Amino acid sequence: MKISLWVRAVALGALAFLYLPMLAVALFSFNKTRYGLAWGGFTWDWYLRLFQNEAILEATRNTFLLAIISTLLATFLGTLFALGMERHPWGRRFRSFLENVLYLPVVTPDLILAAALVVALGFLRALSGLFEPGLLTMVIGHVTFQVAFVALVVGSRLRSLPRELDEAARDLYATYTQYLRRVLFPLLLPGIVAGAMLAFTLSLDDFVISFFTAGPTSQTLPLIIYASTRRGITPEIHAISTLIFLLTVLLVLSAERLTRRSA
Amino acid sequence: MGRVLVWYGELTTASSLARRGLLLLLPGLLWLLVFLVIPGLLLIPLSFAERGPFGEVVWTFSLENYRRLLGFGVLGFSLDNLMALLRTLWVALVTTFICVLLAYPIAFYIRAQEGGRRYLLLALVIIPFWTNLVIRTYAWQLLLAPEMPLARLLAALGLVEPGMALFPSAFAVYLGMVSAFLPFMVLPLYSSVERLDQSLVEAVQDLYGGPWRAFVHGVLPQTLPGLTVGVILTFIPAMGMFVVPDLLGGAKHLLVGNLIQQAFYTMRDWPYGAALSLVLVLMTLVALRLYRRYGKEVDLA
Amino acid sequence: MKRMLAALLVFLALGLAQKELRLFIWSEYIDPAILEAFTKQTGLKVRVDLYESNEELIAKLQAGGVSQYDVIVPSDFYVPSIIKLGLVQPLDHAKIPNLKNLDDKFKSPPYDPGNRYSAAYQWGTTGLIYRKDRVGEPKSWAVIFKEPKAPFILMDSPREMLGNALKYLGYSVNTKNPKEVQQAGQLLLQAKRSRYFLGFEGGVGGKNRVVAGAATYAVVYNGDAVKAADENPGKVAFAIPQEGATLWVDNMMIPARAPNPEGAHRFINFILDPKVGAQLSNFNRYATPNKAALPYINPADRKNPAIYPPAELMKRLEFILDLGKDNRIYDEVWTAVKSR
Repeated sequence: MKISLWVRAVALGALAFLYLPMLAVALFSFNKTRYGLAWGGFTWDWYLRLFQNEAILEATRNTFLLAIISTLLATFLGTLFALGMERHPWGRRFRSFLENVLYLPVVTPDLILAAALVVALGFLRALSGLFEPGLLTMVIGHVTFQVAFVALVVGSRLRSLPRELDEAARDLYATYTQYLRRVLFPLLLPGIVAGAMLAFTLSLDDFVISFFTAGPTSQTLPLIIYASTRRGITPEIHAISTLIFLLTVLLVLSAERLTRRSA
Repeated sequence: MGRVLVWYGELTTASSLARRGLLLLLPGLLWLLVFLVIPGLLLIPLSFAERGPFGEVVWTFSLENYRRLLGFGVLGFSLDNLMALLRTLWVALVTTFICVLLAYPIAFYIRAQEGGRRYLLLALVIIPFWTNLVIRTYAWQLLLAPEMPLARLLAALGLVEPGMALFPSAFAVYLGMVSAFLPFMVLPLYSSVERLDQSLVEAVQDLYGGPWRAFVHGVLPQTLPGLTVGVILTFIPAMGMFVVPDLLGGAKHLLVGNLIQQAFYTMRDWPYGAALSLVLVLMTLVALRLYRRYGKEVDLA
Repeated sequence: MKRMLAALLVFLALGLAQKELRLFIWSEYIDPAILEAFTKQTGLKVRVDLYESNEELIAKLQAGGVSQYDVIVPSDFYVPSIIKLGLVQPLDHAKIPNLKNLDDKFKSPPYDPGNRYSAAYQWGTTGLIYRKDRVGEPKSWAVIFKEPKAPFILMDSPREMLGNALKYLGYSVNTKNPKEVQQAGQLLLQAKRSRYFLGFEGGVGGKNRVVAGAATYAVVYNGDAVKAADENPGKVAFAIPQEGATLWVDNMMIPARAPNPEGAHRFINFILDPKVGAQLSNFNRYATPNKAALPYINPADRKNPAIYPPAELMKRLEFILDLGKDNRIYDEVWTAVKSR
């Protein structure tokens, strides 16, 4: 299909526009000067200093710990939810109630989600000190928006599995759990994995929910970067941002490879 | 209730199916109810409460928060809060519009490529989509600094004072918003554009003549589903955005998101924050309603 | 069996040695060398979290920080509220013998009689940092309040920013007259509307932006500015406008449910040591409240009017006081200023 020069120019320009800021950050992560933008020479210093920066190392640990724990929990809850929703006969009203509940976290601006969470956690804190801002509250926050995404992804995969498959398989297995284990889950696995990967990336990426639920010992990388914008960005922040960006590139490219192979 | 039926090859009763289904649904459902739905509903009575002298919540029934929202504040009446609401609507609309304008060319460009390159370009669009918003936004602070080429160019053209950064400013906020949401618009739109039936477009072009007409009557109706998803995924989060105006707008281009963040975080005024949140939800629902109605009309055309 | 006990003891010992002290403090306010020295002396690792304003400190305390930090450093005008809110625990003076080193002015201050809850850390003023390579020394707050002609940053601190606006208008920083406070608020709103207004930042943020060249003026704390002037010779300088400015005293306090109150007391005592106190002030360039530390302070700093204002200058400076119920006036005006 042929496209006009105009269209091509705008498209390429827009793509460049998307990448310019990150390229600037990457460029200045190698700059020797600490303050200001005068080019002082090329250096790996800032990257090396990252490994000695305790705050950043701990934030990295927290970010991944949070993502892993919340993804596991959300995948579990979301898959069960999808199973319950898609594989049982529900009346139309109940069914649309379930769908609305699922779409709520997806459609609501995450700031409102965060506000609701702040209120919920405030009440729970009155009941137990367990809900002080910290890793637990962050996990709760992340799972709340991840569950819906996982349930939607797994649910759509369930819908795509033909009924005949189940019906044939059920002849072979007497109990429900056997059927789940031997038949459904292997078939469902790509959907579950896709949902989990989506949840994982959403958690790594999150800022707003983390901002409102974090405690002093559970800072994540996005929060540290944001705090730096208040104090003065150092090239170390440029360095960690570039690394996060490269990690994202890696994740996306490998996800593309995986889905292409399975498709 | 022992009515036996066969469900997905399983011989069982309706009641045991319902029981099993509910058991499966319950954990996830309870979670969302406890941490999302109920607190969300709690925002309503909270918005009628008041803030105590030290940031605690005083449960009364007071319209003070809404009065403040409408502008009746301590420094006399001011339209500034309402302006913030209107500004939010406007910024979200403009952002969505610009994203649509840029997303179509991108989608068509990708479609015009062959297999392998398509994946590459799609990956190029997805990567910023997954990159953290804080990073992408503060990166604009870097790019808009006075020493960088863009600021120098505009200063040379006499559009800005030399030595001043291009942020905080409305221009910077729009740049940040568009670059934040463009991938959200491109991806769903592309899924529709990919399935575009070229012959249909050519037929329309024959009928009406002219590329613009061909677009409106040929391309637009076919890509409407993707466009709709893209618009919703862009407009609604844009209304609740606070990171971009915070980092690129300074204290001057406050959107509702900033006011909510201030209320919940710095000012510890939960009741006022709840009132603001409810107004945001209301604006979002109204916008969705209008879009669905208008969207249906376009469909019919 | 004996081996298991020995292993358990070692494990416990390690566990105790790993115990840490959680310090919640203003950014760029403490010398890392002091923390290292403290760790060496007590075996307690110090974990530092930073804040940019008193409001941020109090918000984090109320959101659970009261059981997550061991030492906090609020300003004097917030100390009474913090005490009233029950956010801190009383100091055990028996564990802080160095308390006697404080200058008489800071022993039993009006905001905390008897030093029941606090011990002074540093004191200082607010003022303007400016790019001396771009503009002359600002004589008056008018450079930012009246037709500003260069990019500037205001301080994200309600009482201090409103206080300086009040000073410019000729009022007291502790006025209880709502009209005067509202006037100050209007002044700030007017400044916000200027095309040269770049935002509200904490003291350190504003200072860094001026050093980086993004702003020409910023309302900052004196010590940060003096330090920046030394690190960037010829570029930046500090000035207190003729109308005056606000004074503050920062104090070390222990949150009510601190995880390690024992360590917290040791830390406070450590800071109040004369040599450590001097090292602190020589690092952050603020004035020390520690009389015993004065002999060890840099002689140049002792004579620097920006750090130790002479009596003449002190007449124009004013301490901010907690106004109890009347704090509300300032809260409301500030909210209006921030949210428009």
